[in-house]
Amino acid sequence: MILKNNLKEIRQKNRFTQEELGTDVGVSRQTIISIERYRYKPTLELAMKLAQKLNIKIEKLFYFEQE
Amino acid sequence: MGLSKKEISILIEIIFSIVFVFIFLPYFYENQEINLILMDDLIGKIIEILIFTIIYFSIAYSVLEVVYKKKENKDERDDMINSKSYKLGYLLYEFSLFIFIGYVCSKFQNKELLNLTGNQELYNNFQLTDGGIVFFVLVLLAFISIIKSLYQFYLHRTV
Repeated sequence: MILKNNLKEIRQKNRFTQEELGTDVGVSRQTIISIERYRYKPTLELAMKLAQKLNIKIEKLFYFEQE
Repeated sequence: MGLSKKEISILIEIIFSIVFVFIFLPYFYENQEINLILMDDLIGKIIEILIFTIIYFSIAYSVLEVVYKKKENKDERDDMINSKSYKLGYLLYEFSLFIFIGYVCSKFQNKELLNLTGNQELYNNFQLTDGGIVFFVLVLLAFISIIKSLYQFYLHRTV
């Protein structure tokens, strides 16, 4: 199973830039890019912060997909 | 290829290690056969290295701060990249230390064997000097530092 996410779509829907979202949750723009490209799996703390900032349940933001 | 501030600072470290290898290591290479006390102007060379290091990093990081004005804080991805690259550096260091200990033991063993056979010329060729040890350690440190930084740079580009 691969951990995927809807971060890019939800971020764009909420009209956040990668830079703004990163600053708000305390990470760099590169970290947001890496998460959106599924290259980096965030810690639970960061995932919770992202979900909170984007007003979405964490399981809607991050999900498992069968390989 | 757009590079972030962190990637540039890693490149600065890599360039320093390469410059160190080409400018300062030849001095230790040339003096590896003799003991430190006999090295020509060793203190001067150490001071030269220290001054060069301070000037190099001061200028490089000042230019970096001017070009990239925005402050970049460390986050969890940087911690992950650092832990992976430093782990590789540590493993290389452990492995190199193991090789180094083996090298020193073999030198002493060969020296004893040659001493027993009475071949004075060969016996003299197997002298292990502290100059040689310093050179070997500096080569290892430069090599490990370059590999660690290259891996760190690679992770920043791919993770």
